[in-house]
Amino acid sequence: MPLALDAGRLREDRMATPTGPGRISRPFHPFFVSLGGALLMAALFTDFMYSSNSLMQWANFSAWLITGGLVLALISAIVLVIDIALGRVGPIRWLDFGLLAIAAVLSIVNVFIHTRDAWTSVVPSGITLSAIVTILLAVAGLRGWCVTAIRFAGRGDVE
Amino acid sequence: MSGQPIRAAGALSILAMVAACSGKGGDPAKQYGPDPYLPEASQYLLPPMSVPKAVGWKAGETPSVPAGMHIQAMATGLMHPRIVYPLPNGDVLVVESNSPGTKPFRPKDYIQGKVKARAGAADKGGNRITLLRDANGDGTPELRTILVDHLHSPYGVAWVAGTLYVANTDAIIAFPFTPGQTRITAPGTKLTDLPAGPIDHHWTKSMVASPDGSKLYVGVGSNSNITENGMDVEEGRAAIYEVDRLTGAKRIYATGTRNPTNLAIQPGTGQLFAVVNERDEIGPDLVPDYLSSIKEGGFYGWPYSYWGQHVDERVHPQKPDMVAKAIKPDYGLSSHVAALGVTFSQSETLSPQFADGAFVGEHGSWDRDPLNGYQVIFVPFVNGRPNGAPIPVVTDFLASDKKTVRGRPVGVALDRTGALIVADDVGNTVWRVSRAAGR
Repeated sequence: MPLALDAGRLREDRMATPTGPGRISRPFHPFFVSLGGALLMAALFTDFMYSSNSLMQWANFSAWLITGGLVLALISAIVLVIDIALGRVGPIRWLDFGLLAIAAVLSIVNVFIHTRDAWTSVVPSGITLSAIVTILLAVAGLRGWCVTAIRFAGRGDVE
Repeated sequence: MSGQPIRAAGALSILAMVAACSGKGGDPAKQYGPDPYLPEASQYLLPPMSVPKAVGWKAGETPSVPAGMHIQAMATGLMHPRIVYPLPNGDVLVVESNSPGTKPFRPKDYIQGKVKARAGAADKGGNRITLLRDANGDGTPELRTILVDHLHSPYGVAWVAGTLYVANTDAIIAFPFTPGQTRITAPGTKLTDLPAGPIDHHWTKSMVASPDGSKLYVGVGSNSNITENGMDVEEGRAAIYEVDRLTGAKRIYATGTRNPTNLAIQPGTGQLFAVVNERDEIGPDLVPDYLSSIKEGGFYGWPYSYWGQHVDERVHPQKPDMVAKAIKPDYGLSSHVAALGVTFSQSETLSPQFADGAFVGEHGSWDRDPLNGYQVIFVPFVNGRPNGAPIPVVTDFLASDKKTVRGRPVGVALDRTGALIVADDVGNTVWRVSRAAGR
């Protein structure tokens, strides 16, 4: 977890110099990315529950969770643009961006699969996509839910 | 990192491929009769929705009828008329009704509701029965009154021995009534409850009296397209009930009929027939709606299978023992026509070719491209069984551009002069088709 350590160090720096050239700009978007990611990953659990007990309410939960995750993905994208516009962030980290972008595209496919009626809304393609999305998001989440480098004013950007 | 855009593009092309394979519907003529062509079931990515915009009839516009026949509006400005029911004295009852309203379960339900509303499906029903009296039989009623009001999404009606039975969505209500009356003031009494809320997906309760008048047959639709609202809410649904007219005691007469939207008794044989709307969203040519005789104790497939033993893999857990029992319906009407009305012809009152058979009102598809239905057809019978291709009778409910719809036919009936009466719930009109003057 090198990134978390970096962040810790940065925080100390910031406390040492709360204002002035040494302060970091914290991006807003990871909060929204993490919320959306949590909903999309939860859909794997509800898909699994439906696939094991055939109770439709679990599949309904999945449809709502994926829809909510996609709404938050859209909000995240808007907030990312704001982050960039305000100059709060460094350059895009393409690996994180790619993981999240693929997860979002697959989730769009998945939300349509979940509009099917009953069993085939989940099994087999829906739950498969939920699993792939969860893996992608787990990696992106462990890397900090952040698609940009941290801008460390005065000292350049931290990858 | 260079792999990311390629993978994203790959996902998008999969999306495009899956969307494309839903495809267009074929020739409905391949699905008429006892052995309709049944393609492989497909799973959509985008829910199929294709509805024309409801525009209503302009002054002077009417549906078309074959040469030698005449069509006229018997009543206009109604509130979502669904069923027409001629009484022995010639008065015609018009049931004005719509769904009591279903709460959405999934994000999809919000969108689908909006799309269907475009075709006029969400217009408010009158929850009442209007009486039309055309004593001289010229098709223009001299009297129009509201016979009974404040009903609860009524649909089927039957008059037997001084009592008018009205099938509300949640119960059969009995009103003392003598033909000739123009207003029912007596409060109704409940004969029996019918399966209704809290979902009530297919809310209509079709009804017909047995030939001897001792029983009422009631069609109860499923609570979902294909069990997506859960199996528990399907208890007692997708079935045809037999209700004892005097005691209200009821039993299930037949099952597996997804949405038995109307019932009729065949003259002469006394055999019960139903038009049944089959399942959606496995292709534009699946599954054909049907007209069939209904066997006592018969199971007609829903939800486990269709047209006999064609398994629907959307249902889980499956029940192979039920699939094995499923009866093949008598006659395919082609897919998604939404047959809502059925009545048997009585003689050659309209035309010699309509002497033996059944008229079927096809409300029209909402999930098929090209559109299907939107007409009243005649299904010819030979030796008491449907036989041969259907004959279009009342057509051009769709405007010629096929993008707008002026009306949608529902219930059909023959009045005492033998004229065909058709309820139109988008045009809010009752149409009357008679033999042209001088014929």
